Amino acid sequence: MADIRTRYDALVIGGGITGMQAALDLGEQGYDVLLVEKYASIGGIMVGLNKVFPTLDCSSCICTPRMAESAHHSRIQLQTWAEVRQVEPEGDGFVARIERKARYVDEDTCIGCSKCELVCPVDVPHEFDQGLGARRAIYIPHGNAIPQKAVLDVEHCIFCGKCEKVCPTECIVFDQEPEMVETRVGTVIIATGLEITPMGKKPEYGGDRFLNVMNPLAMERVQSSNGPYGRVLRPSDGKIPRKIAYVQCAGSRDRSIGIPYCSRVCCMYALKQALLLRHYIHDVEVTLYHMDIRAFGKGYEQFYRRTMNEGVRVIKGKVATIKEVDNNDLVVRVELLDEGGRVEEHRYDLVVLAQGLVPAWHAHGVVACAEADDGFMATPEAKINPSYTTLVGVYVAGVAAGPKDIPDAIVEAGEAAMAAAGRLQRIGWHRASAAAAAAH
Amino acid sequence: MGETKTTGKAEKPPRPIEILRDRMGGVSKELQASVKEQGRIRKALRSALAGGPRTVPELGAQCELPPPTVLWHLMAMRRYGEVVEAGEAGDYVRYALKGGE
Repeated sequence: MADIRTRYDALVIGGGITGMQAALDLGEQGYDVLLVEKYASIGGIMVGLNKVFPTLDCSSCICTPRMAESAHHSRIQLQTWAEVRQVEPEGDGFVARIERKARYVDEDTCIGCSKCELVCPVDVPHEFDQGLGARRAIYIPHGNAIPQKAVLDVEHCIFCGKCEKVCPTECIVFDQEPEMVETRVGTVIIATGLEITPMGKKPEYGGDRFLNVMNPLAMERVQSSNGPYGRVLRPSDGKIPRKIAYVQCAGSRDRSIGIPYCSRVCCMYALKQALLLRHYIHDVEVTLYHMDIRAFGKGYEQFYRRTMNEGVRVIKGKVATIKEVDNNDLVVRVELLDEGGRVEEHRYDLVVLAQGLVPAWHAHGVVACAEADDGFMATPEAKINPSYTTLVGVYVAGVAAGPKDIPDAIVEAGEAAMAAAGRLQRIGWHRASAAAAAAH
Repeated sequence: MGETKTTGKAEKPPRPIEILRDRMGGVSKELQASVKEQGRIRKALRSALAGGPRTVPELGAQCELPPPTVLWHLMAMRRYGEVVEAGEAGDYVRYALKGGE
């Protein structure tokens, strides 16, 4: 693993699709970029998705080339398994303090052979599969991970030493310690992405209590061919679900849970998942309960129509409660908005809550950029300079600035990269870096 | 003056794995119990599957384990190449030990 140098042109915080795109757009212009990712692999949420709307491209198939490009770009240095702890203005640029977490594996010598993972005796719910599948205490993050390097989850290690014995390159470093490194950067791009609304936010839906109430990222993994079950099953007993409901606006557009905004992607990801379920399980009945469908992007309305044409039932109705009954089945009580508010109850094998998007990271205590009331980064010039934050020289892109889909996040990454490049030119940072390198 | 000879065995410096174990305060009782339980469940599932392919509810009944627990462990065994799918039975998938399908 290359040491973090003392100076870069730009620091990009977050190695998801937005951060990778911003880093690539800066790297292609000749700027040196440090790309910091908190997880052990870059790729973010996108590499774990099954397919993307409305094209139904395989998500990992279009994300992994960006991952490889970011990892191999001569101007981009990756630092995974690390967190930016502080960014402070200094002169025209910033001093960034970054914590490199202990991986307990030497990245330079690990060859990603998985022998350590195969021999490890401790199985742990895998975060990448939303806990539905297993990983080992020492593991390669996932099949498409970059870097393909093992990481040891020391909280679940029983110190049996089997991984160390089987490793062909002796790369396990049990006495590795986290370290804080400091570097100077001319500009910063925040691309820290999203989490979904916590499943327990609406107790009446039982998202954190009922086994067969699933979050949408779990459904992405379940639908993926490399997912935890290898096919669509429900978590309570492995049954192939024949009746599935989607509950829209389950985690946004709801003042009662403090998330009044529209998350902008839930209608489309739910329609996409519902359509794919019709492809994966030939006799499945899928019903999507919504307040109204928001299909505003390129080709989205056509996709919505296609979904209905292919048999997904789309019903304007507000779900009041979900109850668990025998066999872990679920009864959904819904007020039908197009039928004068008539209330019906229907029984399902599986219910997916279309959870909203919330920020995955907060600037407070790290960098002096203000957050908006909704918790996303404040963008005071949202109309004319959408990537500007409240701190000059620090830019934001993607869902860190507010909910958006992948194409919008990519466009915003490019805009942030251009704004950052303009800033570097104005302060002469790049020339100073080149001069420092020449003198060195 | 001759060289001073030390008598007895020199204490070996702790190995890195021992340093980490000490730093973590050893293995917690919860983790020890969880690993032991994992072993017990896997043994029961292997034993049941030795009798032929089974669905999750069948394994749950035979091994007296809750179906969600059976599914999670079965999928872990599947991921690491110990278990494979062996057809369907109604609404459920049958699983078998690899080579026993």
